[in-house]
Amino acid sequence: MKGISRVLVANRGEIAVRILRACRELGLESVVTVSETDKDSLPARLADRAVCIGPPSPMESYLKVDTIIAAALGTDSDAIHPGYGFLAEQPRLAEACATHGLIFVGPKADDLRKMGDKLCARKLAGGAGVSIIPGSELVRHPGEAAEAARRVGFPVLLKAAAGGGGKGMKIVARAEDLRGVYDEASGEALSAFGDDRIYVEHYISNARHIEVQIIGDRFGNIIHLFERDCSLQRRYQKMVEEAPSPAVSPELRREICDAAVRIGRQIGYENAGTVEFMLDQDHGQFYFLEMNTRIQVEHPVTEMISGIDLVKEQFRVAAGDFLSVSQEEVRLTGHAIECRINAESPGAGFSPCPGHITEWKSPTGEGVRVDSHCYSGYFVSPYYDSLLAKLITRGTDRREAIDLMQYALASFVVSGIDTTIPFHQFIMRHTDYLNGNVSTHWIENRLVKEYEKNGGNPFR
Amino acid sequence: MDTISQDEVVQILRIMEESNFDELCLEMGDFKLILKKHGDSELIQRPSQTGEISGHPEAVQERQSAPMDEKQTESGKAASASGKDKREIEAIGGDPEEGYIPIRSPMLGTFYRAPKPGAPPFVEVGRWVSADDSVCIIEVMKLFNTVKANIRGRIVKVCAENGQMVEYQQTLFLVEEVDGAGETDKEEIPS
Repeated sequence: MKGISRVLVANRGEIAVRILRACRELGLESVVTVSETDKDSLPARLADRAVCIGPPSPMESYLKVDTIIAAALGTDSDAIHPGYGFLAEQPRLAEACATHGLIFVGPKADDLRKMGDKLCARKLAGGAGVSIIPGSELVRHPGEAAEAARRVGFPVLLKAAAGGGGKGMKIVARAEDLRGVYDEASGEALSAFGDDRIYVEHYISNARHIEVQIIGDRFGNIIHLFERDCSLQRRYQKMVEEAPSPAVSPELRREICDAAVRIGRQIGYENAGTVEFMLDQDHGQFYFLEMNTRIQVEHPVTEMISGIDLVKEQFRVAAGDFLSVSQEEVRLTGHAIECRINAESPGAGFSPCPGHITEWKSPTGEGVRVDSHCYSGYFVSPYYDSLLAKLITRGTDRREAIDLMQYALASFVVSGIDTTIPFHQFIMRHTDYLNGNVSTHWIENRLVKEYEKNGGNPFR
Repeated sequence: MDTISQDEVVQILRIMEESNFDELCLEMGDFKLILKKHGDSELIQRPSQTGEISGHPEAVQERQSAPMDEKQTESGKAASASGKDKREIEAIGGDPEEGYIPIRSPMLGTFYRAPKPGAPPFVEVGRWVSADDSVCIIEVMKLFNTVKANIRGRIVKVCAENGQMVEYQQTLFLVEEVDGAGETDKEEIPS
């Protein structure tokens, strides 16, 4: 590949495995950064070389920009793929890459910065003629927040300007609660993001989370690869994603995908990104939520319905090539669903469950895809997130994808630790899910309670 | 005269730098100094006739003849590729884990044996070190971190190559731990 011959993969877990696979297919040499705990991990074994960058704590390894740049330079890599999480959306890494003549496989540092500031992102979306959720500018004290809340109407969300990904948000149901929640929200924002700026947004109670995958090259070509429905969330963390959305009509699809491309075009966005929207199911109206400037966890569902390898496409545009497809060539075929298999105990309030995997047997077969770094004997470290695998099924239609998912979940064997597999089995058999009758609060408001009542048995 | 001071080495380096010569080999009794302008330089203090460092004088000889491009890393893949290195260690007295104590890199970065380019290395094979002695520098993006020996003993092997990237916890030196080696006599060879 022109411009890139050796890639440093600055991530771990399943996404490192995923990126390494794309490297192999493109004929690129690979180096993966590993913490001390990850020295014997699957990515370390799959890469041409693994370099140990520090102790297990992410603060001393995967989050150290200088060390990662030194690792790239020391191994003669010419590009860094950041994956998701860690430094993927940190302008610091993208900038350091530019300073040292390395290719950052992601958007420009400036775009990371613009979209990382949620208030700035709202303005950009508004400027592109896309509806934004009714809300305020920056509020400096509880008084301003109260005034903004009255204007947009309770309930409201207090959001951290530097937040995103479901972090740094607080719901305020009534005016009298506002003061207390305001202090809590700004305090949390300061400790989590080092930035206590807060703004107010109307809270949509019956919403679906719809997001659009876009990708652009440096020649101004920006295309969308349709939407994903990520409404099944628990505490703002996605559990199940699917494409296309059962709640989106062909007309709405055109509108929402067009809105996403307009936002991308507004800033001349390069590489892969996701524009997230809230779809108000009571009024049939969609609003810009935020933009994620990275490859996302749930990108496989888009790959399965479009036939386009997003990570390979990321490398292509980062190296300065044209996108391999035009908008007209992108076709949506079939239906894909992804279940996130986490090391959590669904029967114990989803508490994390690190430990040794004594047995790991993942499902196989036509229409089944498993993206994972786990194997029998693998130790799930408490230092990192709990994602063990992404189980993806693809059928000719939604019903077939669900049937396949039920089969795949039933034949997925993981022993030694608790996982979210039984909870996913519960979802895949629930009438509300089968009928596509869900919202972003369905899991928390309804399913978790029903699951507990059933004693964690998905088949009762 | 069978020894040479640090200042004299610096002086020789300066003369060498200004000269048209690429290589210099200086031998004075048991002392041998090899300087290469565009390569690696080595300063080797051989055991004197009167004071034996250990029962393995050939160990030092062996190191002297080891190729400079040889890499030894902690990662599994690279370790298997450096079987020659392993044999060499075995030849001089067993497994590094058993016989000698490793000084490991506290971080990933570039390994420098000397405080600045052209200066003599902090330590050499055969040199006695105490815990507070600096043994090398690890550079991470222009930030220079001095690594201390943290152990009292004799350097028996330099395991990383000057100017190359080393990984976190990679073995940089092997040290033969000696309880008796005091602060004052570290420069001398106990008889």
